Amino acid sequence: MTDVTLYHWEPNANSGKPMLALAEKGVDYNSHYLDLLNFDQHDPEYLKINPQGTIPAMTHGNLMLTESTAIMEYVNEAFDGPELMPSDPQARWRVRWWMKFFDQWFAPSVSMMGWNWFVGPSVRERDPEELAARIERIPMPERRVAWKKAIYGLFSEEELRVSQQRAEIGITLLEEELTKHKWLGTDEYTLADINGFNLGFALPMSQPDHCNDEKTPHTMEWLRKIYERPATKETWAKGRTELASRVTFLERQ
Amino acid sequence: MKLYHGEPNAASLTVMAALFEKGINAEFEAIDLCAGERHDLPITYGVEVLRSVEGEGPVLVNNGEAMADSVFIGCMLDESKGDATLLAGDAYRRWQIMVWCRHVIERVAPAASYIGNQAYLQDALKRMSDADFAALTAKIAAEDLRGRWEEVRQGDFTEERLAECRAKIVQMVDKIEAQLSGDWIFGDFSLADLETYSWLRGMLSLVPESFDGHDSVIAWMGRVQDRPSVAKALSLSVTGSPEKAWPVGPEINRWG
Repeated sequence: MTDVTLYHWEPNANSGKPMLALAEKGVDYNSHYLDLLNFDQHDPEYLKINPQGTIPAMTHGNLMLTESTAIMEYVNEAFDGPELMPSDPQARWRVRWWMKFFDQWFAPSVSMMGWNWFVGPSVRERDPEELAARIERIPMPERRVAWKKAIYGLFSEEELRVSQQRAEIGITLLEEELTKHKWLGTDEYTLADINGFNLGFALPMSQPDHCNDEKTPHTMEWLRKIYERPATKETWAKGRTELASRVTFLERQ
Repeated sequence: MKLYHGEPNAASLTVMAALFEKGINAEFEAIDLCAGERHDLPITYGVEVLRSVEGEGPVLVNNGEAMADSVFIGCMLDESKGDATLLAGDAYRRWQIMVWCRHVIERVAPAASYIGNQAYLQDALKRMSDADFAALTAKIAAEDLRGRWEEVRQGDFTEERLAECRAKIVQMVDKIEAQLSGDWIFGDFSLADLETYSWLRGMLSLVPESFDGHDSVIAWMGRVQDRPSVAKALSLSVTGSPEKAWPVGPEINRWG
């Protein structure tokens, strides 16, 4: 019996971070899949657990935790299993720096394109009145804005241009960083690699001109090495859509 | 260890006071972040300073590595010496502090910077010659940060955005009030108190209405200000009014 329940969507982006961290630690958890495309995260039943209506969320006994990167740090500290942060404080700073760079700069740009390409079109076909009602139910105002933009295709050309530019810069910076250490920012496999994989595993497909074996060999090798880990395989098998199944692109030929 | 810091306000205040809290010896050098001096230091720049999401924050050089992002520098300092004090407690309390600080970094800091830049920095930048300003921005590696400098100089502020930013300050003050049950945000003093205070201190005069009827928050700010670490950091002000020093800050979230 486990007292850990994770409420998550696909092993991808924010949901995938605690899923993969839990798997690396060997923590048995109740996996509660919420279909983001069906707005399960705004259902009254889920709002009783996480009033913010965001995914992922984790309960551990009577504690409820949100914010994927902070949940990962909690998972690493609260459970036995392999250490997923370096012991050196300065290396820990580097790990946290990269996670912030991903969470607040690189990933939002990649995800804006993902929402424009996948999330928006996937739900756009629904009954317009039902959609409008669903949007009104979203607790956090900033998430309401994001959903409206995705559903109605309202990301401006300028927003998408900036996102594309940032994706390209992010890919270049990541490649440079991966030439410096065995893993991201340090020689140990850490939460930064887990975080980065969730952002990066699909880049060879979504950004094939910029992320590929010729231009970013270190990134490709890094992604393949992470994909080969048993925890990654086990976690991505929990996916139900093509978002997650794209990961097989990383199989070595 | 050497710290290049701006006026003891916002991100600089967090790191200065964190060093004093931990009793870690470092050489302090005051630089003018509002004049772009962070881009002209005798250091080896790495991606962490050039691409810091924090904007114009302090730079700590440790073991030859230039470090940015005040909250994570605070974590490193706490983990470097003695028992944890800024992030003490069990994994859950540390989760609480990290989530709280993330809110400050991502929501409050960009809003406070926008308000502070509008109030103080834009006039200073407008007084610069075109050539001097071009020379300054040419040294900035990150396009988005350079863009924010340009927006401030152009006075590219809207009433709508200012109102949104003020609303975020109001929400932050409400959030502190709701959380405070003793002297500090999470029981004992922590990085959450320090980081929140650092960004809100200047808002006392710029968004005074946020604090109306929030005596417990005003009292909490007084307690933070009275800590020897914070008082010592504030005493290092060059201008005498650090609450008016607002370097270009983090970006307002592009997703809304």
